Amino acid sequence: MKAIEVNGVTKQFGALKVLKDINLTVEKGEIFTLLGENGAGKSTLINILATLSAQDCGTVKILGLDPIKQGNQVRPLIALNAQDTTFDAEFSGLDNLKLIAKLRGIQNIPAAIDRVSRQLDLTEFLARKVKTYSGGMRRRLDLAMSLLGDAQVIFLDEPTTGVDPKNRLALWQMIEAIRDAGKTVFLTTQYLDEADALSDHIGFIRDGVIVKYGTPAEIKQRVTATYTITVDEQQVQLAQQLLNEAHIAFTNTNARFNLHADVAAKAMSLMLDHHINVLHYDRDEADLESVFLAINDQENNHAND
Amino acid sequence: MQTIKQLNALTARIVRQNLTNADTIITVIAMPMFMLLFFVYVLGGNIATAGGAGSATTYLRYALPGFLLLTMAMGSAYTSLRINNDRTSGFLNRLHSLPIPRWVILGSHVLASLIFMLLAELAVFVVGLIMGYRVHATIGSVLLFVGLSMLFGLAITLLAIPFSLKADNYASAGGFSYVLLMLLFVSSALMPTKGMAKAVQIFADHQPMTPIVNTARKLLDHSVSLSHNTSIIAGIWLVAGILIFAVLSYRVYAKMYLTK
Ligand SMILES: Nc1ncnc2c1ncn2[C@@H]1O[C@H](COP(=O)(O)OP(=O)(O)OP(=O)(O)O)[C@@H](O)[C@H]1O
Ligand SMILES: [Mg+2]
Repeated sequence: MKAIEVNGVTKQFGALKVLKDINLTVEKGEIFTLLGENGAGKSTLINILATLSAQDCGTVKILGLDPIKQGNQVRPLIALNAQDTTFDAEFSGLDNLKLIAKLRGIQNIPAAIDRVSRQLDLTEFLARKVKTYSGGMRRRLDLAMSLLGDAQVIFLDEPTTGVDPKNRLALWQMIEAIRDAGKTVFLTTQYLDEADALSDHIGFIRDGVIVKYGTPAEIKQRVTATYTITVDEQQVQLAQQLLNEAHIAFTNTNARFNLHADVAAKAMSLMLDHHINVLHYDRDEADLESVFLAINDQENNHAND
Repeated sequence: MQTIKQLNALTARIVRQNLTNADTIITVIAMPMFMLLFFVYVLGGNIATAGGAGSATTYLRYALPGFLLLTMAMGSAYTSLRINNDRTSGFLNRLHSLPIPRWVILGSHVLASLIFMLLAELAVFVVGLIMGYRVHATIGSVLLFVGLSMLFGLAITLLAIPFSLKADNYASAGGFSYVLLMLLFVSSALMPTKGMAKAVQIFADHQPMTPIVNTARKLLDHSVSLSHNTSIIAGIWLVAGILIFAVLSYRVYAKMYLTK
């Protein structure tokens, strides 16, 4: 049985089609990352998976159960950490955690609270009112509230937004620890390094569909490699002119020209023919950043056709 | 059992929010107290409520039940504000993702609202006692008054729900309560309708607050004369209000939060 199965899911708000045809499966015990820009529909999909809203078409299964028809069976198995933090700012962190522990019917509440507080480095702040917390502390409390209990599938909607680099790393380790404890993590992010560092599989969501799916390594492979040609500072303008005349697409920062693999060689010979002093000619290592840009480019080109 | 624990935990949360929030206490408890003192000691002597010249004592005896309902009406603004806060902050979403029976989620708000309204009512009642108000009724009748208060509280709590769910922010969530206050002002709550301008009087005599307040007054003071019909009309208004507002609340809620 899969942890999550999504087939042909669509969702629209008024005339706005946010999800057009979402298909994906998430295996038990993996970290799956849904990667997409602002407004791509990540939260919309997470809300459907977490029983909060219903899709218009298509089917969803969480551990084999339908979140709409079997919501009461699904909810004990899942935990949702929504994008917006929600807690009572006038109450202490401890009171907030206690409330959720009671709602989840946890037997040994102090032990459970102690565990998540350690996990999220909150122990020393627990007695303080949440309104005195910093943004990062609030985010961690909010996560702790979501992680109380024994959910099998955990939805984390942009959990590291607004968290400083040190704590971000700690959160990554925590997310990996959740996976290593045998649970399934469904993560959303706009950060490519985050998806790269954490995921077993990544799905890119764009314009309401998953435009690319794979392991971080697979996705890197699929990207057309790019090359960087570095020329003499004095000849930047001339190089630009040459590439433009030859209709070769490029981007450049000063003397460093970025080109797709299929045109890099042509550009190189063109420059050499015109006596441009090429200082470096490098094949770039593909990272998720360029995957993202490549997909965006493809999409844009289609749109322009 | 777990369901009762969940209902308890959520209800306690909201009651605590109300009792620890200065704004709420000032508006729902201190404000009606101040109005009571002002009406009784400043205006009361000039308001003839029982024929003949008015006095602070006769006015207090006349108006306290109306002030008690007014206190509850003030509370309804905060019922709406609390639900609206939970919606806009995403807390309702969090609750809906947890294994909690759906009815418990707003049910806890309704229960907390009733508890808080009754506490506020009790506080104003105690001030009334200190000012010299005396109950002239049997225990059974006083219990009926509590029952009437609960029906009234339930009706205005259910009325608050659609506004709380629809309002964009907490500031507009409580707006409807001004209509409730207006209805109470233009009723027999604070003074007899007899002396009102004719058109106003007709309105006052036929809107729901007047029979409800008159019934409340009678239940705490048997010397008040009341036609038998009045309490029946009050009951009909309350039950009809509860049913209509319950259906309305459910519809708005279901559309926003129920996936089935
Ligand atoms: N309840 C709603 N009513 C109307 N439109 C909505 C609603 N929820 C989301 N949308 C719209 O759907 C689109 C996708 O929103 P969603 O929140 O799913 O994006 P997201 O990928 O989570 O973005 P972000 O990274 O900014 O969180 C947006 O254009 C948003 O305005
Ligand atoms: Mg989002």
